[in-house]
Amino acid sequence: MSLAIPNGLDNSNDRPGQRAPLVLGDTNYHSITEAVCKIAEQPPSRAWVIGFLVSVHLATMLGLCIAYLIYTGVGVWGNRAPIFWGWPIVNFVFWVGIGHAGTLISAILYLFRQEWRTSINRTAEAMTIFAVVCAGTFPGIHVGRAWLAFWLAPYPSLNLWMWPQFRSPLLWDVFAVSTYATVSLLFWYMGMVPDLATFRDRSKNPYRRAVYGVLALGWSGSSRHWMRYEKAYALLAAFAAPLVLSVHTIVSFDFAVSQVPGWHTTIFPPYFVAGAIFSGFAMVITLMVPARKIFNIEKLITIRHLENMCKIILTTGLIVGLAYGTEFFIAWFGQVPEEKFAFVNRAFGPYWWAYWTMITCNVISPNIFWSKKARTTPWIMFVVSIFVNIGMWFERFVITITSLSRDYLPSAWAYFSPTWVDWCMLIGSFGLFFTLFLLFCRLMPIINMAETKATLAKELHMAHADHSHEDDH
Amino acid sequence: MTESQPKPQTVADDKKVHGVVAEFTDVDSLLAACRRVRDAGYTKADAFTPFPVHGIDTALGIKPTVLPWISLAAGLTGTTIALLMQISLNGQTDLFEGIQYPYIISGKPFISLPAFIPVTFELTILLASFGTFFGMWALNGLPKFSNPMFTSPRFDRATDDTFFLFLDAKDSRFDEAGAKALLGELGGEYVEPVMEDDSSKVIPKGLLIALATVICLSSIPALAVLRMRVTKSGSPRFHIFPDMDFSPSKDAQQTTTLFADGRAMRPDVPGTVRRGEMDWDLNFKTGIDMDELASIDAPRAAQLVAMQSDVAVDDEDEVAPEEAADEEASAEEPAVEEQAAEEDTADEAEPAAAAETADNTPWLTENPLELSDEALARGQQQFNIYCSVCHGMNGRGNGLVNRRAQKILATTWTPPSNMHDPTLYSDVYPDGKLFSTITNGVRKMPGYASQIKAKDRWAIVAYVRALQASQDATLEDVPESQRSGVEKEQAEVQAKLKAAAEAEAAKAAEAANAE
Repeated sequence: MSLAIPNGLDNSNDRPGQRAPLVLGDTNYHSITEAVCKIAEQPPSRAWVIGFLVSVHLATMLGLCIAYLIYTGVGVWGNRAPIFWGWPIVNFVFWVGIGHAGTLISAILYLFRQEWRTSINRTAEAMTIFAVVCAGTFPGIHVGRAWLAFWLAPYPSLNLWMWPQFRSPLLWDVFAVSTYATVSLLFWYMGMVPDLATFRDRSKNPYRRAVYGVLALGWSGSSRHWMRYEKAYALLAAFAAPLVLSVHTIVSFDFAVSQVPGWHTTIFPPYFVAGAIFSGFAMVITLMVPARKIFNIEKLITIRHLENMCKIILTTGLIVGLAYGTEFFIAWFGQVPEEKFAFVNRAFGPYWWAYWTMITCNVISPNIFWSKKARTTPWIMFVVSIFVNIGMWFERFVITITSLSRDYLPSAWAYFSPTWVDWCMLIGSFGLFFTLFLLFCRLMPIINMAETKATLAKELHMAHADHSHEDDH
Repeated sequence: MTESQPKPQTVADDKKVHGVVAEFTDVDSLLAACRRVRDAGYTKADAFTPFPVHGIDTALGIKPTVLPWISLAAGLTGTTIALLMQISLNGQTDLFEGIQYPYIISGKPFISLPAFIPVTFELTILLASFGTFFGMWALNGLPKFSNPMFTSPRFDRATDDTFFLFLDAKDSRFDEAGAKALLGELGGEYVEPVMEDDSSKVIPKGLLIALATVICLSSIPALAVLRMRVTKSGSPRFHIFPDMDFSPSKDAQQTTTLFADGRAMRPDVPGTVRRGEMDWDLNFKTGIDMDELASIDAPRAAQLVAMQSDVAVDDEDEVAPEEAADEEASAEEPAVEEQAAEEDTADEAEPAAAAETADNTPWLTENPLELSDEALARGQQQFNIYCSVCHGMNGRGNGLVNRRAQKILATTWTPPSNMHDPTLYSDVYPDGKLFSTITNGVRKMPGYASQIKAKDRWAIVAYVRALQASQDATLEDVPESQRSGVEKEQAEVQAKLKAAAEAEAAKAAEAANAE
């Protein structure tokens, strides 16, 4: 059962001409189980407890802010004429974007048989779910009378006596985000069932065993079950992959289908999707770098995994930079005065600080990943990922606020200022996100044990079969 | 995982054997064993592995699953539902008459397939995913929490690091000794029989009670809502979200503690004149000669004046005072007369008898409006907008509304007056009375004071008089210079009529000949 790979330091990225192993050290199937289950079985570490307490407090603050908002009305936000699409929409688009990396790693990398995804996909999927929860909060309370948000659903209402407007992008959003959340949840849960069965079978405590037993649905590991399970997983991945692209495309329609200068562009769908993947991977790094340290799973989430994600961040960062340039080019090339003005105003108008923060964080900072040293040094990745998160939040801010604050009529220009409620909700949404994430780390298998074992089995098989054989599919 | 020693399984006599299981420690030997078992003719053999083992399907002879077809069917169902839903709900079809939503958005047509793509796509994916997810569990027979395999303590490691090969007792080739021998021969460790799970299948009572309690408790909010919806209590309902149902402002006729008199509606401040009230002229606004009324019926005149100056809402709105005046009049005058005064709209088609009884109201007999082409044109325009729907463009009382009412035999319908009835001519039905009728309405006709300004109402009166005159006009009424033109037109029309009549006659004759 033990592996021929030498037990030593992380050597996963310096074997030129040969694929680096995805699981390190003197690893066998059982040690993977041990490493992952330990996280949930042992008492929480001090770092976890502190992080959890802080997050719960921030999440509570979000809850109180929402209660205050609903009780008082949306006037407690900084949204004023002409900027009615302010902070909450910025947060919404930001959080939806964060969610994308999860599904991308799970679905698209699965379809491309990128086995390096196996140790990170579970965390990334969890991140997707929690990010979508945070994202869904904002449009939910943004409708003004939040308790009537169910009017968006096409149900035969006897009170309302009319139907949702299916030709409006805002309704498409409802369908896109709710479908995305549902399918992501199914995908995440289904992927977790075999690992929950492992948790069940290891539990000594009868209550714990009962709870995990119910969640594991009676999974026994039968080959017939695995066969259908794998088929279903592949199908769900195939459904989720276009869904990832569609969600942010549809979110971008909210903007692009309008006539506001700076929004009414065909570049929005691809540009939003690239930005979403960019920010999503940054968030995965933000979570993984500390998590692998705290939970002691560096042998499962190796430098090779992190380096691959850095490469994706670099690529999507360049795409995003190209999109910024293209917007300027088209504004000049199209010769629409309002459009030209909108972009000059973004860079040199009253929100110049937001624009240049965005450029610094999104376009300049990822370029450090051209250096292999930076790509393989966790703390540098962590810092850059934080920069990217900030930059991508500002990107949504710049798009939303600058276009609305100065559109066609100078008589209707205004400067947006957030209120304390805006700030507390943004910070609180991070609290909600981290609360859910930390709970997940303690209660659920944070690494896909079954898939990691399958990857290990393959590597073992190859190691036994032919050392010189190059696996290149 | 602790390396606990396997407990020797004792075969109780009363237990039925479920099958025989053997452990393997690596994938390759498991796969080899699977192939051998398949080749030996076992069809119900199964392997239990901690992760999906590639190639095990063929090694065990497992047939491909129908799951993709379920996904396809579910996905297509989603597509269909989405398209039908959008087309029927937004497409202005008759599917849900009365609750359509025919609004034009961004100039898109009602059935706008490109705009329907996003929702269609999302619902397709959603239902396909549901089909895949639930279909997979259903095909696998899960969730199923009881499994004989789970009774074996060693089997816990099936989800950790050990591979199990299982030969089912239901297999036609199965015999316990042979199966054990085969598995042992294939390199399986701990070859053991698995007993049927004979633990009680009765759900513990405590669990059922807990479940029932939870269900009962969870229905409380729904029942509370239900009760709130049907209750006939006089006290206001409990409002979680007040919306704008309660406003600190006062409605008309309400009381308040804010003022000494308790009235929420405030009278004018004494000695002030409201905007737009400087020009009010009671004669102009009531159609009554107020001086004369004062001399013959002082109380009624006084009341009219009081109403006008106190409560009248704005310069054009004299509904309230006028009605009060009429009521006053009816109290003092013969009821029949009053009814006649209230009869009908821009004019009165009502029985002459009623109209001729003593109406001692001193109606203005002359239109106070300065007559001009513009005034008449204005009157015509206003008449065509407001009056012609019932009275007809020519005033004969056969407008569209009347024709429709006759067609559907509306039982409560009172036909509008024909303005060319002599009882409505100015000698019996003075201008002021006509004006008052337009203002206050009569029978089915509502008062038009709130829609039509007083000046325009007088213009309508003038136009109605012109209409009436037009129907009795002779050639002598036409100005000298235009007579020849009229005569020419008349000749042309008569020629046409004659030709038409001749053609008709010829046709009739032809038809007769043919027969």
